[in-house]
Amino acid sequence: MAFRWSRWSPQLALLPAGVVTLVAFIGAILWTVYLSLTRSRRLPEYEIDWSEWGRQYQRLFNDDAWMISLQNLIVLGLGSALAIVFGFILAAMIDREKRGESLFRTVFLYPLAISLIVTGAAWRWIFNPELGAEHFIHSLGLTWVNASWLARPETAMYGVILASVWQSAGFYMALMLAGLKSINSEIWSAARLDGVGLFRLYTEIIIPMMKFTFVTCAILLSLGVIKAYDVIVAMTNGGPGQSTYVPAYFTIQALSAKGNLGFASAAAVLMLVITAIIFLPLVLLTAWQQRRAQGAMR
Amino acid sequence: MPRVSFEHITKNYGLMKVLDDLNLSIDDGDFLVLLGPSGCGKTTLLNLLAGLLDVTDGRIMIGERDVTDLDPKDRGLAMVFQSYALYPTKTVHGNLKFGLSASKLPREEIEKRIAWAAKLLQIEPLLNRKPGQLSGGQRQRVAIGRALVKNVGVFLFDEPLSNLDAKLRTEMRLEIKKLHDQLKSTIVYVTHDQIEAMTMATKIAVMNGGVIQQFGTPDEIYERPANLFVAGFIGSPAMNLRPAKLALAAGKTEAVFASGVRLDVSDYPFLAPPQDGAEIIAGLRPEHFTLAADSATAATFTVPVQYAERTGPDASAYFTFEDDVLALRVDPDAAARLTPGQSVSVSYLKGKANLFDARTGQRM
Amino acid sequence: MTDLTASQKALGAEIAVHSAPYFPRRKKVITGRSIAVLVFLAICALFFCIPLYVVIVTSFKTMDQIREGAMFALPNIWTLEAWDHAWNSACSGTRCEGLKVGFWNSVAILIPSLILSIGLSIVTGYALALWNVKWAGTFLFILFICAFVPFQIIMFPLISMTATLKVYGSIWGVALIHAVLAMPVLTLIFRNYYKDIPQEIMSAAIMDSGSFWKIFFEIILPMSGNILIVVLILQITSVWNDYLIGVTFGGMGAQPMTVNLANLITISTGTVRYNDNMAAALLTAIPPLVIYFIVGKLFVQGITAGAIKG
Repeated sequence: MAFRWSRWSPQLALLPAGVVTLVAFIGAILWTVYLSLTRSRRLPEYEIDWSEWGRQYQRLFNDDAWMISLQNLIVLGLGSALAIVFGFILAAMIDREKRGESLFRTVFLYPLAISLIVTGAAWRWIFNPELGAEHFIHSLGLTWVNASWLARPETAMYGVILASVWQSAGFYMALMLAGLKSINSEIWSAARLDGVGLFRLYTEIIIPMMKFTFVTCAILLSLGVIKAYDVIVAMTNGGPGQSTYVPAYFTIQALSAKGNLGFASAAAVLMLVITAIIFLPLVLLTAWQQRRAQGAMR
Repeated sequence: MPRVSFEHITKNYGLMKVLDDLNLSIDDGDFLVLLGPSGCGKTTLLNLLAGLLDVTDGRIMIGERDVTDLDPKDRGLAMVFQSYALYPTKTVHGNLKFGLSASKLPREEIEKRIAWAAKLLQIEPLLNRKPGQLSGGQRQRVAIGRALVKNVGVFLFDEPLSNLDAKLRTEMRLEIKKLHDQLKSTIVYVTHDQIEAMTMATKIAVMNGGVIQQFGTPDEIYERPANLFVAGFIGSPAMNLRPAKLALAAGKTEAVFASGVRLDVSDYPFLAPPQDGAEIIAGLRPEHFTLAADSATAATFTVPVQYAERTGPDASAYFTFEDDVLALRVDPDAAARLTPGQSVSVSYLKGKANLFDARTGQRM
Repeated sequence: MTDLTASQKALGAEIAVHSAPYFPRRKKVITGRSIAVLVFLAICALFFCIPLYVVIVTSFKTMDQIREGAMFALPNIWTLEAWDHAWNSACSGTRCEGLKVGFWNSVAILIPSLILSIGLSIVTGYALALWNVKWAGTFLFILFICAFVPFQIIMFPLISMTATLKVYGSIWGVALIHAVLAMPVLTLIFRNYYKDIPQEIMSAAIMDSGSFWKIFFEIILPMSGNILIVVLILQITSVWNDYLIGVTFGGMGAQPMTVNLANLITISTGTVRYNDNMAAALLTAIPPLVIYFIVGKLFVQGITAGAIKG
């Protein structure tokens, strides 16, 4: 077939994005994976000692801070899941009670517009052990209340969770609200006619109908948790001690503070693995849907 | 000189063969209608001509030029789309002008052509409006205008009237026909609507399953359908197709139906000498029946009425014949007198029958 | 906008149908359940407002009042002193020039990063959605995966690359990284939007002009108004709110406002001036908040599109 410029200009237009993908994503990932197999410290070394290629990974699993990070990842994930529950409750209430919908939406969503550093700063101040909320509560006479969570290793993660939930509940509310609105209004009328109680209506009909929305929210939340970094920096900086380390924080700390490139790379690779584990169902689902759609087209 | 010709066109989508070794050529000034049910390959063929799809194999000629490997804009074609495909953010003027964007014409010439097309299509007052502010019929005119300004020899229409209501459709049909007569251009027009095909075309290509079933003038297609598909597809109500057997007697050829009714086909122009006892399908047009027995008839059926329906100036009556429906075009007054269940004698006119080989489905 | 507005109208109609589902309900003034729900929602709203309230009042207080510990009290004396400090003289690391440095850095990063990221992804999305390009499906799939890759896995290589390109630690370096990281998600958003443009319009344009760029600029770009605004808002807020890229690639000279703020609040030496911190936090939050309160709907649209399509 003859050369046709018109064929090539769209293909050429993809070139920049293709190069970016190839270099900045695929190339960079492979580079990091490679580095994780080396003994690189502050500067990259490109020799792999194949007899102990898994050395950095071994070190990682012997590292207390990394194990704490993994633990915290799970704690943060489970805790942040409250944001989905909370978001659903808010969405269900806003959806049923139309009054003030736009006002409540605006209030519940504004934290999303703010940088997590600002969020962290605000909550850090509220949790301030001397002058913060605790002081205020104690001044009300409730001296048994402990509200300076960030100061104690056992409770610091809960403070982070509270801030995360505060920040993201509105987002899940918005997704849930969209999901609720796509439910046929006749369902409500039918349930009313059948005399189904509100609780049973939600648990047996509405929530099962929204399972795709819930799965989406769960995946987004998991991915968000893995990426959690800013909020840790702003609220606790990993402390007290290393009690609020999470993988994202650990990895950057290993690179910038400890200057241990091979070690940090191994941690980053494990982050990718965790992401992939969460992400795989979604990819498979999408691929399957695409194939089905293509099959239907033919 | 053939103006547009398809030579041995093959088109595959993946493993699926949509068109296989298709040949078709039309003359300068022809109005070709590609007619067929949806999925028959007619739109694919049009898109191949337009260059929006690539042929898998074969050659497309426009005039003396082989356009198979040319870009759509270089083929010297203009196209009108089913959904009009007007650019929503451009004014009517901008739409017409963009149609000329590949042509590198001087500005005065562009304006001259736009003015000419706008005048021809009576869309001058609309030139500064956006497509969203136009009615369906007006959009249709703009879409045609955008094709006209290109001043090309071949226009392509892809079911352009299917989005219009019945009244507008009739108007636009006439208008397109008038434009064709006026501009003497070649038109390739895709539709599934046989009325459009019959009224506008100078040539019709009936397609089914990626194959051209018959190519000819509207009269040829209607009067002498080449096979059972064309016979059944063209005409409304559809042609009555009934199995029968040929009976050759001295000086007389008859088609004998299962129920014993004999249809005289002695004057039928057989392509090959008929065989006695050959299995055939007889095709009887609804309008070639008559309730009166005075004219020269080929057969008379005595059949019970199922029902009759009147559509204003016309009426159709449906009878039961050999456990199937026999459709007749009748005079509305006569239709009013028919009552269901009543047995009526109807006759078929001489020399109007179509006979098909039951095995091959081809015309005999 | 024939087909696009048609679909929007259909969407609007759908929402309208859903917003009026209880026609059998008798017109009562207000039910007990409604009151309970509204009270609950109001309490939640209050909880959501507490941090903002605390930050605002603290930023207007004097340090003397703050030391009294009444966190939720209104300022005795309203003062802009803390705001002045935060803007002009708060310390970030060793420099004490206030957040204005970071503010202007953020602005300087924002502009090129918007141009780069949107320019790159809109053209890619257009080519992928409306032109017949090879490996489009594969490319989309890879982009889809890239959109979820954790930043840490590509961080060091990107630092190396920007260092080689001599843009590490500069405004351009930060902007470039923003563009690179936003590209997958934004491309998918644009591609999904363009996928809904009727194929016949593209066919007509290909027959009329055939030029990739002419069709883009004359036909497609004018049809992209809505999505451009949504993406613009999404990108402005995410670049402005970013900390990780700024701190990693900003070096010393190109630190955005969030990095200044983080340095300020995590400082552990000397007496901490909480009112300065809160004023600084507010200063950082104001630009995105203003956008949010003006065009909140579009902001939410962008955030959800980015999350789901990315």
